[in-house]
Amino acid sequence: MYARKGYELVKDLANGEKGQLQPFNEDLFNQVVDQCTQHYLELQALIRKMHEESVDVRETRNADHYGALIHHLSLIRNKRCLMAYVHNRAEIIQSFAWKVGLELLELPEEVQEKLSPSEKNYFGKHSAALQSYMAEVGIDLNVDMVPPKDPYIKVRVLDDMGEGILLSDKTANLARHSMHFLKRTDAEQYIARGLMEELTG
Amino acid sequence: MANYYDIDGILVEEEFVPVVFQKAINGVKIDESTEKGYVEQGSKTELPFWLAQELHMRQAVSIRVPACFNQKTRLEIQADAACVDLRSRCPYFYEFGCKLAPLCDKSIGLLLSYAFRIRYKEVLHKAHTTAFAAASKFLMLLTKEETYMYEAAQSSMAAFKKWRMGGPRLQRASILGRKRKPAE
Repeated sequence: MYARKGYELVKDLANGEKGQLQPFNEDLFNQVVDQCTQHYLELQALIRKMHEESVDVRETRNADHYGALIHHLSLIRNKRCLMAYVHNRAEIIQSFAWKVGLELLELPEEVQEKLSPSEKNYFGKHSAALQSYMAEVGIDLNVDMVPPKDPYIKVRVLDDMGEGILLSDKTANLARHSMHFLKRTDAEQYIARGLMEELTG
Repeated sequence: MANYYDIDGILVEEEFVPVVFQKAINGVKIDESTEKGYVEQGSKTELPFWLAQELHMRQAVSIRVPACFNQKTRLEIQADAACVDLRSRCPYFYEFGCKLAPLCDKSIGLLLSYAFRIRYKEVLHKAHTTAFAAASKFLMLLTKEETYMYEAAQSSMAAFKKWRMGGPRLQRASILGRKRKPAE
């Protein structure tokens, strides 16, 4: 069916949990591109046929015209599907930089595996742009938006994070299940990555 | 056009509509089962909405009412709209209906608003009262649009409870997905 591959690609994106990344479907992505080429070739063949019959390509509304039209529309449809796939993934990748961490290596491994090489490149450049902007205005824009009541918070470590991790005011041994009283700005990034949880009360 | 990159917007337009070709068309194979590479005038088939709409604009096809808005569905909705399984008929019942109504049958609009008014009440009621486990059967009946509404109602309820009771402000980033048990 016409432009069916593009639909499958978007469906693949929609089937994942909302706002979360699936592995980049390189195989299907290339199939859509191939299908675009196919539509383009058939479109060209029909236009050529109209030229050979020396009818006016702009004005005539014959069977060949409608055939070419369907291929043209299918091309546009596939293009929209491809664009939507890349665009929606790019938005999620941007939010990684804002919410999780600015370095690729700071992202959890299972997330890194889901990015295609050009998406990794995009992530790196987006982070760099964000960093240089934050350096220029002198504000950390990727921290929590609500002003804290207390600059320190109590946290519990959920994963083995190694010893002697350098925080802004001390080095700490963050063993699993240990509890700490940390500067909020230090803890935020670890909580976002799921390595710590905030304790209240 | 709705947002160009909108996933749901793309999926709505992939719903099939029955059409009758008003023009002969060369060089296309609409039906996978046949070998012939052309379409005759007056032949019937089903096309995805995005294609049918464009061809309709150029008077190449006429659109007929798809099965999800047929008489049987109308009668069921009139009987008790809240219990009709709209999802299996068309996952984007309302969006699709809105797009389709001006092209083939204006009375779809009335059907949509009637169905929505009754189902809206039911969705909000269930979202605020039912425990998640009990709701799963009800959720199977909802269209995509209604599911979003249900989730929005639930999350606003959860946010209200959190505001009243208090809780940790900082949480694991939702884009990383649900927390998995750490490998022991």
